[in-house]
Amino acid sequence: MMSTHTELTVVPTELRRKHGGRSLRGGAAPYLFIAPFYVLYALFMIVPVLAAIALSTTEWVGIGMPAFVGLDNYLDLARDTSFGGALANSGIYTLIAVIIVVPLSLLVAQGLAAKGLKFRDGFRVAYFVPMVISPIVIALIFSLILDRDYGLLNASLHALFGIPNVDWLGDPTIAKFAIGFVLLWRTVGYLTIFFLAALQNVPKELYEAAALDGAGRWRTFLTVTLPSIRPVAAFVVVTSFISAAQLFDEPYLLTKGGPGESTLSVAMFIFRAAFERQQFGYAAAAGVVLFAIVFLVSQALNRILGIGRDQ
Amino acid sequence: MTPPSPSISRRGLFRLAAGAGGLALLAGLTGCTPPSVPPIGSGEIDLSFWTHDDAYVRFFTDAVPRAEAASAFRYALGVTKAGAADIVTKLIAQAVAGTGTPDVVGLEIGAFTRTLRGTIASELLTDLTDIVAPFGDDLMSARTAPFSKDGRLYALDSDTPMTVYYHRGDEFERLGLPDTFGTWDDFLATGAKLADSDGISLGAIATSDPGGTVQTFHVHLLQRGGGLFDAAGEPTLETPEAEDTLRMLVTGVQSGALATVSDMYGPGMQSGLKSGKIIGVNMPSWYSTYGIQPSAPEQEGLWRISPLPRFAGGGGRTGAGGGTGFAVLRDKPASEAGVQLITAAYLDPEQQIKRYRDMGYLPTLRSVYDSPELAALEDGFFGGQRLFEVYRDIVDEAPEIHQSENQSIMDTVLSGHLLRAYRGQATPAEALTDAARDFRGQARG
Repeated sequence: MMSTHTELTVVPTELRRKHGGRSLRGGAAPYLFIAPFYVLYALFMIVPVLAAIALSTTEWVGIGMPAFVGLDNYLDLARDTSFGGALANSGIYTLIAVIIVVPLSLLVAQGLAAKGLKFRDGFRVAYFVPMVISPIVIALIFSLILDRDYGLLNASLHALFGIPNVDWLGDPTIAKFAIGFVLLWRTVGYLTIFFLAALQNVPKELYEAAALDGAGRWRTFLTVTLPSIRPVAAFVVVTSFISAAQLFDEPYLLTKGGPGESTLSVAMFIFRAAFERQQFGYAAAAGVVLFAIVFLVSQALNRILGIGRDQ
Repeated sequence: MTPPSPSISRRGLFRLAAGAGGLALLAGLTGCTPPSVPPIGSGEIDLSFWTHDDAYVRFFTDAVPRAEAASAFRYALGVTKAGAADIVTKLIAQAVAGTGTPDVVGLEIGAFTRTLRGTIASELLTDLTDIVAPFGDDLMSARTAPFSKDGRLYALDSDTPMTVYYHRGDEFERLGLPDTFGTWDDFLATGAKLADSDGISLGAIATSDPGGTVQTFHVHLLQRGGGLFDAAGEPTLETPEAEDTLRMLVTGVQSGALATVSDMYGPGMQSGLKSGKIIGVNMPSWYSTYGIQPSAPEQEGLWRISPLPRFAGGGGRTGAGGGTGFAVLRDKPASEAGVQLITAAYLDPEQQIKRYRDMGYLPTLRSVYDSPELAALEDGFFGGQRLFEVYRDIVDEAPEIHQSENQSIMDTVLSGHLLRAYRGQATPAEALTDAARDFRGQARG
């Protein structure tokens, strides 16, 4: 055992000296231990990403050899008003997610964390349930609620306020916000759980100190609560952004991207190009663009919000 | 001291990984060449059969004895069921993998358009042109055109989905409406009055999902004598027929004669039918099974069908929409057995009658429309009406549908402009011109 141990620790040092520290022989054990992860990571992450990038420089219908077209797909994307529209729609969805859904989740979490709240668990379940309901069911329910002529919402608005029927899913502008509302309804409860966990971990002493210093509710929130939950808030913001940027279920199930292309998201654009139009190279190029945007914005958010850095 | 060989440097490891990745990528993109297996000409055969509909499984299973009697094969069907759109995706994925493709596959008409791109159809599917040649004009060209490319037929259609005017017989009687309208102008005039006085619509069109929006326009356009594409697959939007059709629909929508619903199968349509606010609809022959009966089963016996009103400018009394073609994968050991199965199941008059009785799909052989058996059939959902009296009357006016690899592009660009026209934001001519321009932009040459 001892000799084996010596070999494992000494030989790599010698080899490193002779070969600029790059040889793995003898010191392979750590690499072997971490290899399963990296093999799978390379196989299922790196190779597909490289394949997508390679595919994005080709024209391929799914059969036969792809034809190399260089950057033509990217140039076509730049000219494609449909892709521009999809980017704009995804931008709206991400704004709704980051600017409305996240703060609302925090607000709900604050409410649920309030002292003396009755039926706290019941509220938690009620808020969380939309996240675990199948998107198909959600689409069906909201189709019933939002239908222009026979929907529950219009019927209620008409009965209560005499408001004429609104085409929630058929009007190009309103439909975007209807999708945004469904996104909000589905994800607020889920994000609330993160905030609630964070709020429950804020030391009570900080609130007591703030109270002794005469801080009001708003000031306490700004100076105690927010800084204390900043890591979780940052995580929620970034993950909400990423999921909204890749939004597919809601527009696909509720409107199929319509009316026209007014609710088409980038993820739907990619799906449509690949699996309805057999334009795999074009779809891959759109996927690479989406990846680049999501990656860059996420990195920017990471830096702005200080994720992974000490307070 | 020389390090014992072989050693793997970190750079070498990366090179190795990159090489492996490159090989995987190349293999993934080009697919593996399947081992050559000789075709099977007789005997027992396991036939892989893909479809999106249980009814086809039952029908083809029932057809096996007939296929066995007409051939030297003994069939065992291995059925795989998947969504209509997913079938083409899976088919292509398996073809790329070089294994696991079906022997016989049912391709919904919209999904079939994906095989028209590039050489997918010709590389994957058996050319059935010579198989159907003996049937001549009896096999209606209206139903071979949608599944053809460059004059070659790649699938046998399951249906001749002619459009008819479905309507509530009881409501028509109560309101004193005629069973048939002479022209769409008559229809719209009556519909506008009815919408104004009773809040009832004589028809409905879809306005949310792009495919549904275009389908409702398309079925009317086909009736008018137009089409979205010509036989060469080129778009034909800027035509008098298209403008005439859109003008009619715009008038109907804006007057309330035609209700707008999210889609023709969704909750909005169901509510409209159940509440009696929608008492008629122009849809293909299968819509009774997939739209009206599931939405309003309690209205059994109250519905009727009639030929469509005519367009004053021309066209016939029926349009068309939908269909599913059954294709056989080419160059497979069971390809011959697959061809024998679909021809025995689909190109036999008795089977076409059985298909109508079992599934409600209209014959694709013209001579079958003269069958006394079909003429005598009464349909309980339609109050005992003999539907074939209507179908036989209009079958010779059934239009051809020409498809294109760019159907999906047409759906998305046209739907938006149709809605602009319905909302009065563009004239029919402007909407169609803009749609044609956008189509050319997205079709990428």
